Amino acid sequence: MDGGSSNPRLLEIVALCKRFGEQAALADIAFGVGAGEVLGIIGPNGAGKTTLLETIAGLLPADGGDVLWQGDALAPASRRNVMFYLPDGVRPYRDQFVVQVLSFFAGVYRASSARLGDAIHHLGLAPVLQQRVHALSKGYGRRLMLALGLLAPQPLLLMDEPFDGFDLRQTRDVMELLRALAANGRTLVLAIHQLTDAERVCDRFVFLREGRVIALGSLGELRVRTARPDASLEDLFLALT
Amino acid sequence: MRSPEVVATRSAPLRPLLTKELREIIAGRALWVMLLLMCPLVGYSFFQAVSLYGEASIAGQQSPVLAASLSPFDGVLVPSFGAAYVAVTLLFPFVAIRVLGQEKESGALRLLVQLPYRSATLIGAKLLAVFAAWLLVSIPALTVLVAWRLLGGHLALVETLNLVLGHLLYGLLVGAIALFAAAVTETSATAAIVALAFTIGSWVLDFTLAGRPGILDQIARLSLTQILRSFEQGLFSPGLVLGISAAIIGFAALASVWLPPGVGVRTKVARSIACIIVTALVLALVAQIRASRDMTEDRRNSFSAADERVLATLSQPLRINVHLAPEDPRFVDLQRNVLAKLERVMPDVVVRVAGARQPVAMGTGDDTYGQIEFAYGRRMDTTRSTSPREILPLLYDLAQVTAPRPDPGGGYPGYPLVTDAWLGLLSFFGVLPALIALAWWFSRRPPSYTFASHAGDDP
Repeated sequence: MDGGSSNPRLLEIVALCKRFGEQAALADIAFGVGAGEVLGIIGPNGAGKTTLLETIAGLLPADGGDVLWQGDALAPASRRNVMFYLPDGVRPYRDQFVVQVLSFFAGVYRASSARLGDAIHHLGLAPVLQQRVHALSKGYGRRLMLALGLLAPQPLLLMDEPFDGFDLRQTRDVMELLRALAANGRTLVLAIHQLTDAERVCDRFVFLREGRVIALGSLGELRVRTARPDASLEDLFLALT
Repeated sequence: MRSPEVVATRSAPLRPLLTKELREIIAGRALWVMLLLMCPLVGYSFFQAVSLYGEASIAGQQSPVLAASLSPFDGVLVPSFGAAYVAVTLLFPFVAIRVLGQEKESGALRLLVQLPYRSATLIGAKLLAVFAAWLLVSIPALTVLVAWRLLGGHLALVETLNLVLGHLLYGLLVGAIALFAAAVTETSATAAIVALAFTIGSWVLDFTLAGRPGILDQIARLSLTQILRSFEQGLFSPGLVLGISAAIIGFAALASVWLPPGVGVRTKVARSIACIIVTALVLALVAQIRASRDMTEDRRNSFSAADERVLATLSQPLRINVHLAPEDPRFVDLQRNVLAKLERVMPDVVVRVAGARQPVAMGTGDDTYGQIEFAYGRRMDTTRSTSPREILPLLYDLAQVTAPRPDPGGGYPGYPLVTDAWLGLLSFFGVLPALIALAWWFSRRPPSYTFASHAGDDP
C-alpha cells in the first residue's frame, strides 16, 4: 500500500509495531512523507493516532519496525534532531508566564529576538505574554504550543490535534500558518479527528483503524480507489472505516 | 524565509535550561510554604537553645572550669540546625519532587526530553535547582548564625562551616532521592510516598536497629540520619563526604536513566543495575578511607596537642583487643574517647572487638569480658578502664616514652553568654516571615520584555 508522494521521501515508517501488554496498539504501520508535505493521520478515537506520533518521535519505545530519515534508520534518541512533536492537551510550565516559556524555548534553540517576535505575532500571543500559562484559555494554550513548534528548528513537525480548541476563524488562521510553514519547506504530520479541517489543510492522508493503516493517499487517489469521484474526506472515511 | 535545520544535540546553551529550572522552583508554592514553616520551627529551637545556654552560662561565668564546657557549637548551633534537619527530612522532598514531578504531570516532560540536551544534563540542571532550593529553604537556619552573632555570641568559622557542609550534603541527598522518586513514578503523590519511605524509613532504621549487635548495626549505619552525626560531632571525614557525594550522584544517575519515556523498561532496569553496581563499588572504596579531622575549636575529638605530638611518633603497629560488645555503653565510651582519637593520630592502629557476640548482661562466665588488651611492639598490657587518663599512660609505658607535660595555657576558654533571646524569637516569628512574604510577592510580578517582530513575514 503506497500512497505515492511526488516528493522524495524525507521520513519513512517501515513495519512499525507497538504493543501495550497483549494488545497491539500499532501493527505493521508503513507510510512515507516528503519534504514540504502536510500529511494527515486520520482515524476514529482509539485508532492509535497519538501512539503513532509518540512512537515516531521516540517518546514511546517501539516493539518493531524502523523509522528512516532520508533512507537511513534513525535511532529513537536521534529523532529529536530532525523532528519535534507537539502533544495534545499539554500546558507546559503552568506557573510560569507565557513570555518566560517562549523565551526558554527561544533560548534553547538560539532563536533570535526577531524570530521570537514573529512567532508571537503569527500566533497572536501578544495580549497574554504576561499571563501565567495556567490562566490561559484553551485556544491560547494551543497557540502557545504552536508557537513552541514555530521556534523549534527541526524540519519535521508532528502535531497531535493542532486545531483542537480553536474557533472557526482561528482554525483558518492556523491552517494558513501551517500551509505557509509547508511552503517554506517544513514537513508536517498532523493527527486530526476533524475531517473537514484535515481535508482543507493536508496534502495526503493516512487512515488508521485499530492500529492499522487501512488506506493512504491524496484525496484524489482515495476517490479513485473508492470509485467515488465527488466524495468528501468524510464520505471516504465512512466508506473506508 | 528560514530553512528548516537539523538540530545539533550537544550544542544547546545551558543558561536557558538553568533559568527555567530556577523559575520553576521559585514559581512553586511548596518552596515558599516550607520557607515560612521553617521560620517558627528553627526560630523556636534557637530561642530554646539560647535560653538554656544562657542559664548554663550563669554558672559558667562564676567558674572557668564550667565555662570551658560551654561551646556554642553544641549549645546553640547543633540544636538549631537540628530543627532544619527535621524540616528538610519531612518537607524538602515535596519541594525537590516538584522540579520533575510538575513536568511529568503536565505533560511538559514530553517537550523537555525532545530538547537538545542529554538526560544527564537535564537531571544535572534539576539537581542544581534542588541545590538552589536548599539554599533558599536554609535561609532561616543560616539566619541563626547572624542572630547569634548579633546577640553577642561566639562562632568558630571552621566548625560552623563543617556543620553547614553536613546539612548541605544531607539536603542534596534528600533532593537526589526525591528526584529519583519523581523519575520512577507517574505522579508527585506517589513520588512523595517513595521519597518519604527513604527519609522516614531511615529514622525507623536508626531507632530500631542502631546499637544492636552484628549485622543489625551495620544495617542501621545505612540510615540517612547517621550522615549528620559525624558533622554534628565536629568531625570532617573525607570518606563520608565522598560517600554521600557518590550516593547523590548515584541517585541522580538513576533519575537520568528513568527520565526518558522512549526507553523500554528492560533497558532502564539493566542500566539501573549497572548504576547501582558502580555506586556500590565507589561506596565500598570510599568506606576504606577512615581518616577524619577534628574541626572543633575545643578539640573534643582529639587528645591534647602535647599527647598528639608524642603519639604521632609511635611508628610501630598498635593492636587493641576489646572484650566488649559493640552495644555496651563502655565500648561506646572507649570508641569515642580513645579509639577514634588514636586512629586519627597514630599511623597504624588495628582494633579487634573480641566481644562482638557477647551479651551486655553479666553472668556469662567469661572473666575476660570488659578487658582491653593493648599490644605495642612486643609489649602488652591490659586494662578495664575506658578513660584516656588511664589508657594514655599505659600506652606511653608500653612504648617506653615519657608522658608529655600538658601545654601551659591555650586551652579552650568556653564562651558563656547570658542574653535575652526574645529579640531573636521576634525576628523568626515576625521579621523573617514578612521578608519572605515580600520576596514571594516580588517573585509573582510579571517580567518585562521587548521583542522585535517582522509583521507580515513568513513564519
